[in-house]
Amino acid sequence: MRIVVCVKQVGVLGDEVEFSDDGRSIDPEFLDFALNEWDWYATEEALRLREARGGEVVVATVGEERADSALRRCLAMGADRAVRIWHGGLDAQDPISIAHALAQIVEEEGPDLALCGVQASDTLDAATGAALAGLLGWPVVTVVTGLTCDPTSGTVAIRRELEGGLIEVVTASTPAVLTIQTGINEPRYATLRAIKQAEQKPLAVREIDQIEQAGAVIKTMYIPERSEHAEMLGGSPPEVARLIADIVKQRVG
Amino acid sequence: MPRDPRYDVLFEPVRIGPKTLRNRFYATSQCSGFGSDRPAMNAYHRAMKAEGGYAIVHTEWTAIHPEADEWPATTGRIWDDDDVRNWTLMCAKVHEHGALAGIQLGFNGKHTFNLEGRLCARGVTQIPSDTFWAHSCYEMTRQEIAELQEFYVVAARRAEQAGFDVVQVMSSHNAGIAQQFLMPLHNKRSDEYGGSIENRARFLREVTEKVRAAVGERCAVSIRLCIDTLHGSAEGIRVEEDAIPVVQMLDDLVDLWDFQVGGRTMAEWGDDAGASRFFKEGHELQYVAKVRPYTQKPIANVGRFVHPDEMIKAIESGVVDLIGNARPGIADPFLPTKIAEGRTDDTRECIGCNICVSRYEQHASIVCTQNATIGEEYRRGWHPEKFSKARNADNDVLIVGAGPAGMECARILGERGLRRIHLVDAQPEMGGQLNWVTKLPGLGEWAWVVDYRKVQLGKLKNVEFIPKTQLGVPEIREYGAEIVIIANGADWVASGLGNANDEPIPGTQGAPGHVLTPEQIMVEGKEVPGRRVLIYDTEGYFMGPSLAEKLARDGKQVTFVTSYPEVGPYMFYTLEGVRMNRLLHSLGVELVTHHVVSAIEPGTVTGERIYAEDKPVSWAADAVVLCTMRASRAGLYRELEADRAALQAEGVQALYRIGDCVVPRVVAECVFDGHRLAREIDEADPAVPLPFIRERRVLGKLDQDYDAVVGERGIDHKVSSLVQRV
Amino acid sequence: MMAVGGILVVAEQAGGELREATREVVSAAAALGDSLGGPVTVAVIGQDVDSLGLAANLEGVDEVLLVSTSSSEFESDTWRQVCGAMIAGRRPAVVLAPHSVNAVAWAPAIAAEYGFGFTSDVVSFRADEDHLVAVREPFAGKVRVDVGFPEQATSILLLRSGIWPAAKAPGSALVSAFDVTVDASRVRTRHEGFEEVPPGGPDLAKAPFILSIGRGIEDKDNVQLFADLADKFGAVLGSSRPLVDAGWLESSRQVGQSGAVVKPQVYLAFGISGSTEHLAGMRQSGLIIAVNTDARAPIFNVAHFGVVADAMQVAEELNDLL
Repeated sequence: MRIVVCVKQVGVLGDEVEFSDDGRSIDPEFLDFALNEWDWYATEEALRLREARGGEVVVATVGEERADSALRRCLAMGADRAVRIWHGGLDAQDPISIAHALAQIVEEEGPDLALCGVQASDTLDAATGAALAGLLGWPVVTVVTGLTCDPTSGTVAIRRELEGGLIEVVTASTPAVLTIQTGINEPRYATLRAIKQAEQKPLAVREIDQIEQAGAVIKTMYIPERSEHAEMLGGSPPEVARLIADIVKQRVG
Repeated sequence: MPRDPRYDVLFEPVRIGPKTLRNRFYATSQCSGFGSDRPAMNAYHRAMKAEGGYAIVHTEWTAIHPEADEWPATTGRIWDDDDVRNWTLMCAKVHEHGALAGIQLGFNGKHTFNLEGRLCARGVTQIPSDTFWAHSCYEMTRQEIAELQEFYVVAARRAEQAGFDVVQVMSSHNAGIAQQFLMPLHNKRSDEYGGSIENRARFLREVTEKVRAAVGERCAVSIRLCIDTLHGSAEGIRVEEDAIPVVQMLDDLVDLWDFQVGGRTMAEWGDDAGASRFFKEGHELQYVAKVRPYTQKPIANVGRFVHPDEMIKAIESGVVDLIGNARPGIADPFLPTKIAEGRTDDTRECIGCNICVSRYEQHASIVCTQNATIGEEYRRGWHPEKFSKARNADNDVLIVGAGPAGMECARILGERGLRRIHLVDAQPEMGGQLNWVTKLPGLGEWAWVVDYRKVQLGKLKNVEFIPKTQLGVPEIREYGAEIVIIANGADWVASGLGNANDEPIPGTQGAPGHVLTPEQIMVEGKEVPGRRVLIYDTEGYFMGPSLAEKLARDGKQVTFVTSYPEVGPYMFYTLEGVRMNRLLHSLGVELVTHHVVSAIEPGTVTGERIYAEDKPVSWAADAVVLCTMRASRAGLYRELEADRAALQAEGVQALYRIGDCVVPRVVAECVFDGHRLAREIDEADPAVPLPFIRERRVLGKLDQDYDAVVGERGIDHKVSSLVQRV
Repeated sequence: MMAVGGILVVAEQAGGELREATREVVSAAAALGDSLGGPVTVAVIGQDVDSLGLAANLEGVDEVLLVSTSSSEFESDTWRQVCGAMIAGRRPAVVLAPHSVNAVAWAPAIAAEYGFGFTSDVVSFRADEDHLVAVREPFAGKVRVDVGFPEQATSILLLRSGIWPAAKAPGSALVSAFDVTVDASRVRTRHEGFEEVPPGGPDLAKAPFILSIGRGIEDKDNVQLFADLADKFGAVLGSSRPLVDAGWLESSRQVGQSGAVVKPQVYLAFGISGSTEHLAGMRQSGLIIAVNTDARAPIFNVAHFGVVADAMQVAEELNDLL
């Protein structure tokens, strides 16, 4: 079987931030870059499926050259090939636009499964995987915490985690998009040898055929005006306890 | 990151007489064990605190006259003009970094070895010292008192010549003769220097007056005063009856007060340099608070102030004006700078293990569990915050074992820019044996050794921590590292083997359920059967006593048997011994010294008393815990090392080992071992430590010759150019 | 396809009940309807839609659509078809739903397929001269972005829970059925059932609710009260570092830079002053409430709500209350 894992090199913001000249994104000088946490788990899950069933794991990303290091991480874990796709005019902060680019790769590769992380830790859309499925015309199951795949029958048995920790059991037919939740497995660590060998594995670079309309466009990015102080609640201990209980209840439901 | 504005108060200048402190960080007098005969070691050590942001750095207690000769303990000396030449180096280096230099003038009288000069010390009353055996002093006449005061004056003038900004008269730690005058325990005089508090304070008042008259216009004058010897001791010093009147009488004579508390014997100065086992941050403030109303002068006080939140609390309460640091400045000389820059997550917190003190108590020089560069600033050229790029940085490193040695090695290699460093451990967390040792009663703060490194390693992009991974010989060879470092630790033995038993103790074979090791209890959670436990300790440090405390608190009836004359003898060096023994007594632990165990049977342990081996002794015990020795896990390194060809075939170019897996030792030495290897990883033979500079007299060698040696190593230590002609 | 107008809310249920998150979206829809104009319609999808439809008939709702499907539980492919059909039929300007595990399984899919506007995890919105602007918080809330949508197309917004109030008062909406023929051959997922979740040890990193204690609780013996309180809240008990150092709690409970870094929905801090080390470990929590006797404690700089009081007293009262 072939599995495509769609990964992202995310930005990690420290204590200081400045914005790009157009005021719509963060100046990369103020970002560290790392493989998205969810994508460790998605890659590991793909590797386990390959170990059980044979086949090939391809990691794909939409990004500029620095995203190669994220792909190499996945190759070091054991993925077979990597593909990066990019276009200078792409709105990298819009999940629909990203999904279009990914769809180009997935259609080329024709896998049984496309795995994505539930979300990226920087943009937090949780949408790219489902958008990809919409473009491919494939089923999508989100927030997967367990899965077994039977490629001969073309079905996947899935557990997913709903709000409140409730676990739902779902079956899906392949090809399908699955968005993978953290904790589904224990991602393996790459040895130094594997990291070195990953440098030699194939990493192809593609250009996006056509830039599609974005689902949303960032008009401006700014630092939220936050009051630097808590709203103080007054009253006697019983009164304050009541207030706390109410606030919590409203939040948690 | 900008600092929290609440901490701004710590960076306010404070006026002290003719001088001004640039902030409130006050590095107190602190024994280093280098002494004034190793002027560069001392100067570079002290200067590091100045560079790190302290407003003032003091010498250790400095003897003013050959009659107070401390050898083999190494303290400062200011006896003659040659000493002055050596002290100018410290002053110059401290001034270079914008701090003031302070000297603590001391004369300890009977509490002095006097083994080098073979003089007799003058004293207050002829009562033998409780610090030494068969050792006393001669009782001073008025003339001899005046002479002694003149010694202080001469020393103060020499101090000014050397460049010191602050001259401190020592009346603390039971040592200084001024304190001996103050304590009825030592002072039975019937003349005007004994009796009432006014009389007992006369010496201190006169000597401070004279010192002030001699140097007070240009130097600030301070007194380090013990304000309470604790335990309500009427024969010692009590805050209300003694310290307050002294402060009232002498307030005009000082530009600042430096207060401390301590027990009534020299052995109990651990009440001041309190180990974290027994003392929390700021533990002396409650005493200082009582004295505060009686003086407007700035007050400095220690109490292992580590956290800026505690510091500002102390300042804002008004009780202290200056944060006194000795040990925290050892663990991190850059504590003030890191707080100033809002980098509190980069601070190495003093864990209060008192390893530093324990080295001084053994007449060696200090080391630090948290800071491997202590004592190495000059002789190895190590700076705690600066690291050179390794010449062989283009290599990958595998470190097997993420305990103290492995973590420190990874950290320094990371700082030195090695390409990729994988720190691998079988456990889910880094920390090695500290992860369970810190669960023993009172040792929770030792976890800060791990916390600091965890945070720092997390910031190093070239270091990756890989948990839950056990690597065997083939995996290590094939891992892909050019440099492999084994740091896999040691284990307590279950056989009773140790320095008192050279064969396994009969009854320990076959892992019976009633014979346990510390790991079996703390890590595996094995049940300690029955109610009566016998702990057999021939190791001599904290494991046996800590387990005794833990098991007693768990409700066991504990018998502690040790071959040594003391329970936990090394703990007397860390100044925990007195309190630990009191604690174990209060918990009902039966303490048995001078005994060796010779056989263990279910329900009974037999042994014999040292010097009376012909009469066997036995104890009833349902369980026995053996704290006799740790054995290195030497096998892994040995097996790798035995087949160098196999290593090379896989691309491994170098194999090293560090920490307990070489020799089990205190954490400070494991951290040092990892640190040293990393500092010297690009030398010709990193396994062999480079020679360090030995400060000593070499016939025909000059300062310039020392400089040539350090110049080769690229260390900036031009001693000769810094010494001023006196 | 051009949008015409109005706001469509796609409702969610759990255990046969309308989800609280949907009530919040209804409030948001009503507010948006006031500024953008157009009717507010709520669609309930499932088997027993009549009772859900009743529950969805809330103040501010103009119309309730009952969409019958063969499954009472969510099915992504079914909902993609149903919602696609509803949007094609009704041409709403805006479609609103909660930012939920299920909504992200249909909304982005049809948005991509049909070229709708789309954004998720919205924390607020406004109408800037008839143009809808949504606000979201990438980078864990360190920054905010204003986003705009393609002209004339329907836009789908998924709203973050816990921000808008939950609509409770009943309304007088027009209720009708919306018929959709679902192409079963294109339903390629199937709900099989739910599973019991077995209880586990403290997993701070995943806990949605953490109750943490610090030195302000003063005595080791007081730990039990807070452990009980945590249980009552359904929270995991956490701790600041000093209590772990002192041996009052295991290190697995430590929240902080060198302990666990957590991002729960709710973080209750009792007797914690808020050292830099601790704040680094919890400041990204969704809702932070802190109780401390020191009004200047740094924790109040990151908390959303604060109480200057004795931790024990407040905890005892809460314990009685719950």
